[in-house]
Amino acid sequence: MSGITVFRAKKILTMNPRAPVASHVAVRDGIILGAGALEDLSGWGAYDLDEGFADKVLMPGMIEGHSHSMEGSVWQDHYVGYYARRGPDGVERPALRSIEEVVAYLQRAEAEMGDSEAAIIAWGFDPIYFTGPRMTAADLDKVSTSRPVVVVHASFHIINVNSVVLSRANIDADTDVMGIMKGGDGAPNGELQGMPARFLALGAIGRDHFEEMGKKESLWRFARSAQLAGVTTATDLANALPEKTLANLKEVTGDPGYPLRIVPAFLGLSCPAAEGVAKMRDLSAQSTDKLRLGLVKLVADGSIQGFTARLKEPGYFNGSPNGLWYIDPGQIAGTLSAYHEAGFQVHIHTNGDQATETVLDAIEEVLTRTPNPDARFTLQHCQMAHEAHFARMARLGVCANLFANHLYYWGDQHYEQTMGPERAERMNAANTAARHGVPYAIHSDAPITPLAPLFTAWCAVNRKTVSGRVLGAAERISVEDALRAVTLGAAYTLKLDSELGSIETGKRADFTVLGEDPLAAGAEGLKDVPVWGTVLGGRAFPCADIPKE
Amino acid sequence: MSQEPIPLSVIGGFLGAGKTTLLNRLLQGTSGVRYAVIVNDFGDLAIDGDLAAEHGGDTLTFANGCLCCTLGDSLLTTLNDLTRRDAPPDHIVVEASGVADPRQIADMAVLHPGLRRDLSIVLVDAETILEQARDERLKETVERQAAAADLLVLNKCDLVARDRRAKVRDWAARQAPEAPLIETEHARLPLELLFARDEVKPAGPGRDTAKGHDHGALFRSRSVPMVRPLDLAALRAGLTGLPPSVLRAKGFVSLAGKPENLHLVQLVGRRLRIHAWDAGGRAPPRRELVFVGTPDMPSGEWLERALYPPVVGTGLDNSGE
Ligand SMILES: [Zn+2]
Repeated sequence: MSGITVFRAKKILTMNPRAPVASHVAVRDGIILGAGALEDLSGWGAYDLDEGFADKVLMPGMIEGHSHSMEGSVWQDHYVGYYARRGPDGVERPALRSIEEVVAYLQRAEAEMGDSEAAIIAWGFDPIYFTGPRMTAADLDKVSTSRPVVVVHASFHIINVNSVVLSRANIDADTDVMGIMKGGDGAPNGELQGMPARFLALGAIGRDHFEEMGKKESLWRFARSAQLAGVTTATDLANALPEKTLANLKEVTGDPGYPLRIVPAFLGLSCPAAEGVAKMRDLSAQSTDKLRLGLVKLVADGSIQGFTARLKEPGYFNGSPNGLWYIDPGQIAGTLSAYHEAGFQVHIHTNGDQATETVLDAIEEVLTRTPNPDARFTLQHCQMAHEAHFARMARLGVCANLFANHLYYWGDQHYEQTMGPERAERMNAANTAARHGVPYAIHSDAPITPLAPLFTAWCAVNRKTVSGRVLGAAERISVEDALRAVTLGAAYTLKLDSELGSIETGKRADFTVLGEDPLAAGAEGLKDVPVWGTVLGGRAFPCADIPKE
Repeated sequence: MSQEPIPLSVIGGFLGAGKTTLLNRLLQGTSGVRYAVIVNDFGDLAIDGDLAAEHGGDTLTFANGCLCCTLGDSLLTTLNDLTRRDAPPDHIVVEASGVADPRQIADMAVLHPGLRRDLSIVLVDAETILEQARDERLKETVERQAAAADLLVLNKCDLVARDRRAKVRDWAARQAPEAPLIETEHARLPLELLFARDEVKPAGPGRDTAKGHDHGALFRSRSVPMVRPLDLAALRAGLTGLPPSVLRAKGFVSLAGKPENLHLVQLVGRRLRIHAWDAGGRAPPRRELVFVGTPDMPSGEWLERALYPPVVGTGLDNSGE
């Protein structure tokens, strides 16, 4: 039998309602023997007492219930967002508050590059915060006229390119394709909005962004980004899981030094359902304790701020036309049932209320035909769900993973443009979910917003927007509930709550190690609680050990 | 480009509109052309993959649903693989899912260096479309699809009474005022006109040909001689301004200024490509354009006049030689 380690901490928040606070936790073989006072634990046998966390606060390892492994691949490029953002090396990238600042930043990056052929790719650009003219190819030609320059917007749906990229992609005044924005002179101005133009421009400079996501370096960056935020388990929602990606996932998670459990969801629309079910059977047999395979994700509609979410009446506040289905509403039940009947859990992306309702109809149909009280269908984002939807979700045993970070980053736009005041104030209605007993989590959708559950919890607790408006005070939740949502709440949506999400006997020894007590930090201070690092399966991963890039 | 771009056609339309029937017909009814069929709709009916293989082509699938980032990448990867093959297909047909916008797929063919955009054909289920167009969940989706059509096919017309058919026609014309409209049943369409490699076939000057008795009711083909050099701007304006009943045109012309150089003209829907053509030692082809369209397509003489506008002071009249 291998040794027992007892960690002493200043305080341990267990999320175990029978004993919410402890001073010690005993760990053997990566499993928690128990949490409590030292004398409660000594009966397990001889132990080493680890005093390293004597001035730290432990809580269950936080779980990001909706992120993407793209969080790892984006950081190989230059971040040019409006807000400062910490990279996976722990170094904060500066906030760039104008097009001129973005150009100047990229000029400096260009000056440091020797090879004159390589492309400069940047991401996170968000013109929603700028007034004045939009970025053009002329701006990016100031960065370079010899190498390709690409600036990907925060939405990942629009890019700006310089003239080098336009000419390599053969895009000119005659190119008659949707989404190629043209200037007053009729020539393309470098902004590419449509999927075809965007992909072919990136293809023309040799960038395959899906291949990048599955690379080992990207998966390492993903884990470090998580570690810096105190996250021990993160989802990759979703991934078609091609051979090569799967092999890389297995290899990195098999490394004892890899600080993250990954829960990839299989992209259920990437092949016909029968093929998908066969693939899932094959995949789920390959699960390990750090690579959890068995989850399927479907996408029903688009995004609210992109006006592609499917809304019911009265539609978008600013009169924009209704959004897009990403799956034929008539095919949702059939696809769900194929995976459900084979025993696989399905998460479904729904943003608009019409999408949420349509998917609930489909779930009800599937569960009526093939009842399973523990199916735990989970609606991802579920931003516009209201009272009646949550009541129905409770009856159907459906979970919600709410996009709390949206409240801060786009809450003002929702209030003014997309939803209007009343619907904006009930977006991501965590309190309504709680009142109806709907199991819920809250998420970042990283890299769409930063991977940082304490910040996400802060958003759900305060519901403050960028401008400082409190968006729907009645939907705020307590600090305790928010911390539960980013631990046990997320674990429940992933059917991992019997092994993760709380510090109690029999669970995996995954901890978030904090410099301060988040309960003492309170609603205001929650997002600023320092993260020392994590413990994964009993092994400590201090943030200070992360190499700088 | 070392090789000619591969034509890519899109078949769009909501679930049940007859896309799969049309594709199976295509695979069954043509020979000598290697089709690659890419399926983006995993509905109840399946494409007969064996059928495709028998005819020297293949069927591939890419992710179902709308072309958001992930799914678009899946299509692009498939297209890259196909165009980079040692023996690439002669023609690619993409069956768009019921919620995909056919325009996005066609746009990929416009931009992809190995592809040429061919017709986007959108099928409409004449029996159910009016209900779909009223359904709060489906309304915009079926409208967007119809608006993306180069050719709108009202299918299952045998199941629909005459007055209702008129209502369907009205709806379709509102969505796609530019696109020709044809009515059929069981997705019966003259496939070689829609998908086959539209080689210019020898035909007498100005002769109207109805392609077989079965197809003659739906389509017309006209060969128009283009003996005199044309003015490029006038040719462009003339071709892009043709009435919607003209579906496509292809052929060789010579342009004013350099009459010895032949140019290949390809008009698909309202999209035009004109580029210099190198005979590469082959016998020079006949200078003529072959037009394919619906029965109300104008006559050969009319088409000729549209492309040779009157030129003041040359003494030539505008009706040809
Ligand atoms: Zn997401």
